Amino acid sequence: MWKYLLKKEFKQFLRDPGMPRMTLMFPFLIILVFPFAASMEVKNIKLAIVDNDNSLQSTLLTEKCASSGYFEICSNGNSPSQAQAMMDKGTIDAILTIDAGFAKFLEGSAPSSDDLPVGIKVNTVNGTRGSIGSQYLNACVSSYVMGIKSATGTSVGQIEIKETNLYNQFQDYKLFMIPALIVIAITMMCGFLPALNIVSEKEKGTIEQINVTPVSKFAFIACKMIPYVVVAYFMVFSCMLLARIAFGYGCAGSLLDISIFTLAHIIVMASFGLLVSNYSENAQQAMFIIWFFSMIFMLMSGIFTPIDSMPDWAKIITYANPLRYFADAMRGIILKGSTLADTWFDLTCLLGLGGLTTLWAVLSYHKTN
Amino acid sequence: MSGNIAIKVEGISKSYKATKALENINLEIKEGEIFGLIGPDGAGKTSLFRILTTLSIADSGKASVNGRDVVDNYEDIRRTIGYMPGHFALYQDLSVEENLNFYATVFGTTVEENYDTIKEIYSQIEMFKTRRAGALSGGMKQKLALCCALVHKPDVLFLDEPTTGVDAVSRKEFWAMLSRIKKSGVTIMVSTPYMDEASLCDRIALILNGKIIDQGTPEEIRSHYRNRLYSVKGNNMFQILQILSPLSGILSCSSFGCECHVAVDDNGPDEKSLLATLESKGVTGCTVERINASIEDCFIGLS
Repeated sequence: MWKYLLKKEFKQFLRDPGMPRMTLMFPFLIILVFPFAASMEVKNIKLAIVDNDNSLQSTLLTEKCASSGYFEICSNGNSPSQAQAMMDKGTIDAILTIDAGFAKFLEGSAPSSDDLPVGIKVNTVNGTRGSIGSQYLNACVSSYVMGIKSATGTSVGQIEIKETNLYNQFQDYKLFMIPALIVIAITMMCGFLPALNIVSEKEKGTIEQINVTPVSKFAFIACKMIPYVVVAYFMVFSCMLLARIAFGYGCAGSLLDISIFTLAHIIVMASFGLLVSNYSENAQQAMFIIWFFSMIFMLMSGIFTPIDSMPDWAKIITYANPLRYFADAMRGIILKGSTLADTWFDLTCLLGLGGLTTLWAVLSYHKTN
Repeated sequence: MSGNIAIKVEGISKSYKATKALENINLEIKEGEIFGLIGPDGAGKTSLFRILTTLSIADSGKASVNGRDVVDNYEDIRRTIGYMPGHFALYQDLSVEENLNFYATVFGTTVEENYDTIKEIYSQIEMFKTRRAGALSGGMKQKLALCCALVHKPDVLFLDEPTTGVDAVSRKEFWAMLSRIKKSGVTIMVSTPYMDEASLCDRIALILNGKIIDQGTPEEIRSHYRNRLYSVKGNNMFQILQILSPLSGILSCSSFGCECHVAVDDNGPDEKSLLATLESKGVTGCTVERINASIEDCFIGLS
C-alpha cells in the first residue's frame, strides 16, 4: 500500500507545474546568486575629500584611501558645504575632511596634545554601510598616520595587532552564508511545502475520500513527507557540489553529520508544518501562518545577524528557533569541520524541539476529527 | 432481500458548538436495499453520513455498519464501505485510470480483480482513461467517483447527494445505475434534497433540522398523510395562492410547477367550496381535484 501512496505523491509532485523546476533552480540560486546578494561586505563606498591642507601629506592620504579598494573618490577639492550638499542628496556615503595643519601635525611641530586635524562624516541611513565605512576610513587614516610617525621616529606609542582569521581565512562572506542559505532552503522545502500540500487536500476534499479507505493517517502523512525528504537531500548535496565546482569550497566536516542534522531539521519543520495544517482550513490561512513564522525563524536565527549582539530577551526567543541550531551546526560542520561531539547541543535541542512539535501535531490531529 | 440489518443508528446526536446538527436519530437499514435520506440543505444529511462513514464521531448514541460499531471498529468498516462525498473528491491531477488504480490498491485489490463490479459504469468513461480527472465533465466525474467507490466491492455504499447539480437526464441514468448496483447485493444509502427521487428508493427517511420526521417505504409515508389534498390548476397561480392561503381550515398552500397543492384539515372546505371561493373573487377557469399526497406534500405537511 505504501508503494502506491508514494507513487501517487511522486506523480503529483512531478506533475505540479512549479515544483520540479523550483527544486532544480533552488541550488543554483542558493550558490550562484544569493551569496552575492546577501553579502555584508561593503565595497565602493563613495567618498568626498575636503582638503583644506593642500600639502603633500594630505595628497598622500587621499591616494592611500583610493588605493585601499574600498573607496571610490567621487570628488576632491570641494568646499565643506558642497560636500555636505552631496551627502544630503545621497550621491556620496562619506566625507573625509583634512584640516589645515595636517602636515604640521605629522611633522611633529604641533603640540602632541592636539587632536588629529582630520574629520570623518558618514551617511548612516544604511546603518551597516555607514558603520563599516567609517571603520574602514578610520583604519585607513590611522594606518597612514602610524606609518608616517614610525618612519620619522616620533613616538610610536601604539602596538600594531595582526589578526588571523581561523576557519574562513579570507573572511569570505559567501563561504559563511552558503550553509545558512542551505538551511533556509531546507526549511522552505520540508516545513512548508508538505503543510500546504496537506491543507490543499483538505481544501479540495480529497482527504475525505482517503480517510474512508484503510490507509492509516501515519502512512498517509509519511508518504507525503518522503518526496520532500528526498528533495531536501538532493538540495543539500547539489548545493555543496555546486559550491565546490563554482568556488572550490569543500566541506571540512563529515557528510554523515550533515545528513543527520538535515534529517533532524526535517523532522522539526515537517511536524511544525503539520501543526500549521491542523489549524488551518485552507491554503491561504496556512500560507499566512507560515509566512509569519518564517519571518521570525529567519530573522532570529543568527543567519543574518549574530545572536550574540541581540538583546537578552531576543536571545531567549532564539532558543525556540530550530533554524538557530541547524544553521549553527551547518556552519560549524562545513567551515570548521565540527563533529557530533562539538555540535551535540544543537542536535539535542533540535531533536527536543522536534519531539515537542511532533507530539503537539499528533495530539491536535486527533482533536480535529 | 434477506432482511438482515446493514446499518443501525440508535439515538445519534451531534452538535457543532451551539448548532444542533443531529438530534436523537434512529434508523434501521436492511441489507440490499436502497435507503434514501431526504431533506433540504442543512438538515443534517452530511453530518449523519460522516458519522456512519467513520469520519466524525457522534456526541451521543450508537451506530453500526454491518454489525460493526462505527467508533470501535472503524478500521473494519472502512475496508467494507464505499463512500462518495457530495463534492468531487478524487485527485484532479491524476488520470482516470490512475485514480481508479490508486483507490483499488489502497484497498489492497486491483481493478482487474473487481472489474465486473464497475464494468458497466467504467465502460462509459473508459475512452477517457488517460485524461486527467480534473478535465472531465461533471457527469463523467460523477461516474468516475462511483467507480472509485465501488472498485473494492464494498458491502455498503454511501452516496452523499450524488445527484445535486446534475442535469435531469444524468440523474435518471444515475438512478438506473443504482438499481443495477443494488442487484449485485450492495446496500445503498443515498441522500438527496430532491423529493421526486424518493419514490426510486426502497425505503426513505425524511430529515429536517436534525430530526427524522418520518420513515418507511415511500407508500407508507404517503399513507401517513392525514389531511385532504387538492390540486388547483389555473392561469393566475399567484392570485390563487393569495386567495386560498388565508382561508380557515387550510393548512398549507404551495405551488408545484403549474399547479397548486392545497392541504385542508378535517373541517376545511371541499373542492366545491374552494372553486366557489375562487370564482367569487373573480378567478375563473380553475379546476380543483382531490389528489393523493406525494412525498413532497408529506414533507410539507410534517414540517
